[in-house]
Amino acid sequence: MGMKLEEIINNSRKLCNFLKEMIIDTLKLEEITVEDIDDDAPLFKEGLGLDSIDALELVVAIEKHFDIIIEDEDVGKEAFGSINILTQFIQREFKAKIKNSMSAAG
Amino acid sequence: MRWIEIEETVRFNEVDEWGMIWYGSFMAYFDIGRMALLRKFNLLPKQMVELGYIAPVIRLTCDYKQSATTDDSIIIRAAATKPEIAVLNFHFEILLKENRELLANGETTQMLLTTGRKIIYRLGGELKRRVDRLLQYCMQT
Repeated sequence: MGMKLEEIINNSRKLCNFLKEMIIDTLKLEEITVEDIDDDAPLFKEGLGLDSIDALELVVAIEKHFDIIIEDEDVGKEAFGSINILTQFIQREFKAKIKNSMSAAG
Repeated sequence: MRWIEIEETVRFNEVDEWGMIWYGSFMAYFDIGRMALLRKFNLLPKQMVELGYIAPVIRLTCDYKQSATTDDSIIIRAAATKPEIAVLNFHFEILLKENRELLANGETTQMLLTTGRKIIYRLGGELKRRVDRLLQYCMQT
């Protein structure tokens, strides 16, 4: 995980794995490995079976790692749809952030 | 940690048929402590609703150490601790006034929702200002 953040974000495969590791570490899912997490399965309820407190923990981890803010449940419900959806969400938000900071500087 | 302290008297209806405070009564004592603390920082339930939020309890723990009985004087202590996530955490201690012996201690966690029942992931605005003041008060030693 010593790679540059941008390098990870621009590579969907790497970001996908990074997010799985982040979920396992953040929520201390000791019995689950990266291979156990299905890219398209829902993270909450029927999929990984996470609850709303887990969502709060993940929001903090995402802010820490990517400086991307998930304000509330409306955004969270969409972003935490699955690992694939979360990967796309992070990539989209990261691009928007760079664009904003560039237009602010210009 | 800085605690708020409230003195109460154990009522007849809070005691079980073995002459000990009924285990469920401690939850009401916790709430007396919590309300006193919330009142001090304008975070009472109705004031939260005015700001557009509710804060239901989603987790509660209680460890029982000693018992007391009807008409005993007790001290209810409550304090808030700073969580890393968007919740409110309160700690409680119930002491026998006579010798300050610990009767029980516990914790609660409250999630923050808008009045429209939407979970909020981060605190902002006036709610954050009031919660920060509460946390600052409790962090003083």
